Amino acid sequence: MLLKNLETYNWRNINGIAVWNPDLNLIYGENGQGKTNWLEAIYLLATTKSFRTQRLQEGVKYDNHTAFVRGTVSRNQNIHRELQVTLQGAVKTLTVNGKRETTAAYLGQLHAYAFTANELDTIRGTPEARRKFLDRGVASLHQSYVHTLADYNRVVKQKNRLLQEKFTDPNDISKIKQQIEIWNFQLVKLGTEIHHARVEYVEKLNEKLRRDLFGAETYAIRYVSSLGGKGDLADYERLFATRLEVRLQAEMQAGYSLIGTHRDDLEITFDNRSLRIYGSSGQHRSALILLDLAAIDVYYEWHQEYPLFVMDDVDAELDARRLSLLLQQLEGRTQTFITTSDEDLRHRFTGRATAYKIVAGCIEL
Amino acid sequence: MLEYSEPVTKLIDEFKRLPGIGQKSAQRLAFHVMRMAEADVERFSNAMMEVKRRIVFCDVCNNLTDVNPCRFCSNPGRDHSMICIVEEPFNLVSVEKTRSYKGVYHVLHGSLSPIRGISPDDLKLANLLPRLKPENNNDTEVKEIILATNPNTEGEATASYIARLLKPLSVKVTRIAMGMPVGSDLEYVDEVTMDKALSNRHEI
Ligand SMILES: [Zn+2]
Repeated sequence: MLLKNLETYNWRNINGIAVWNPDLNLIYGENGQGKTNWLEAIYLLATTKSFRTQRLQEGVKYDNHTAFVRGTVSRNQNIHRELQVTLQGAVKTLTVNGKRETTAAYLGQLHAYAFTANELDTIRGTPEARRKFLDRGVASLHQSYVHTLADYNRVVKQKNRLLQEKFTDPNDISKIKQQIEIWNFQLVKLGTEIHHARVEYVEKLNEKLRRDLFGAETYAIRYVSSLGGKGDLADYERLFATRLEVRLQAEMQAGYSLIGTHRDDLEITFDNRSLRIYGSSGQHRSALILLDLAAIDVYYEWHQEYPLFVMDDVDAELDARRLSLLLQQLEGRTQTFITTSDEDLRHRFTGRATAYKIVAGCIEL
Repeated sequence: MLEYSEPVTKLIDEFKRLPGIGQKSAQRLAFHVMRMAEADVERFSNAMMEVKRRIVFCDVCNNLTDVNPCRFCSNPGRDHSMICIVEEPFNLVSVEKTRSYKGVYHVLHGSLSPIRGISPDDLKLANLLPRLKPENNNDTEVKEIILATNPNTEGEATASYIARLLKPLSVKVTRIAMGMPVGSDLEYVDEVTMDKALSNRHEI
């Protein structure tokens, strides 16, 4: 898919229209001029979210005003659709070709992968960040997975509330146990779906992972179930149900859910060593690039079209060699948008890239 | 100081107690009431009082009714061997609109939700088990109980709770199927519904 153009109105300090290059777009300018705002606008159009803030109304230039980002997306030579995200206070409206759409219908129209400073959490952050990476990936293939996850989290919340109750009367304890079992029953069904979806996704990533792209070291990933070593993972449903029975007492003692897919992790190693613990920050970045490239290939294999790739502040995030390797890999695949304060970068990619100089929010021609 | 005079503020506050009504809507409604003819206001407030005075829970099925037992429970033309369990009276209305269900009902008035403080004791379940004895059910044996709670996590939990409760008894318990709305174009079926319909597929 291609983002042909983008028009913004009242989004942060930027205004105007940009016509994009189908291959590589370099958005450059001095700090504070608004490069990242343009990238954020592209990301907003694709995901209806920002990679910088949870509260979108922060991005609306004047309080109580309307802001919008609008762009034409082409899926192939003959299909062009105009997408628009409009913000009015805290209210977000999504339209496709001028017609209002639900979030679910809208999100199928444009897909973007982002490489931002936050994304590095996938490598060096908590297991939760890695589960999020996997869940985003699965959801990019199966939209209904979002509901499975939401239901699972809801069940965990309900169950935790029961686990927090403190009783001394044995009669009450057995009543609570009975209710916990009810929620465990759903937890097993939903957790099993999540487990299989993530394992399958990690298998797909592994097939596409270009382990030694960076030469020096070999990267590998593995899904680590919190039930690993406790029994036969192949029959996850049964194992999960059994473990919940065995651990019921311990969970009641702890006051929260101790087992389930919300305790799983993605193990990332280089040369068989833990990347999170032993990797340098350069190696962290290499691994994130490899994961993103693999995710993009998995996305392509499923949808038969490439998502967009956006990367903020390449100077801070990547050295020249990693950047070259990444952009080389993306060539012929994604439409790519990167921001940089290094004006010379455009000379290295002349012929392939279009450079956009941002001054005071506007594109200088 | 109050923004509005005392009677107006009181009315706005009362409207705000209603579900889904915030400050703005409450103000709009209150000002609408002030513009209404006195006779209309009287009819409206009488209707509210009457509903409160005359509508009771059916002793048998907990449906809201003006006669006790309700019109379903006292109707000999309904199939008393089949009980459909729903969360709310308006869910009963949805089932009834299909015109294909001829059994009787049981209304729970809620679904299990620990985070909202709703435990099994808060559901209207106490009068369900006695109904399964023929002597309490017009000498009719209950053959099937249909669990028609909502297809969300709370509705599922409620359904499995009741299913366990009924397990020791030899009554058939079924759960309504979640799938595609009949008569709808595949094109308009959302992905979640389609997903459920696919996983609940059967051989023909
Ligand atoms: Zn009744």
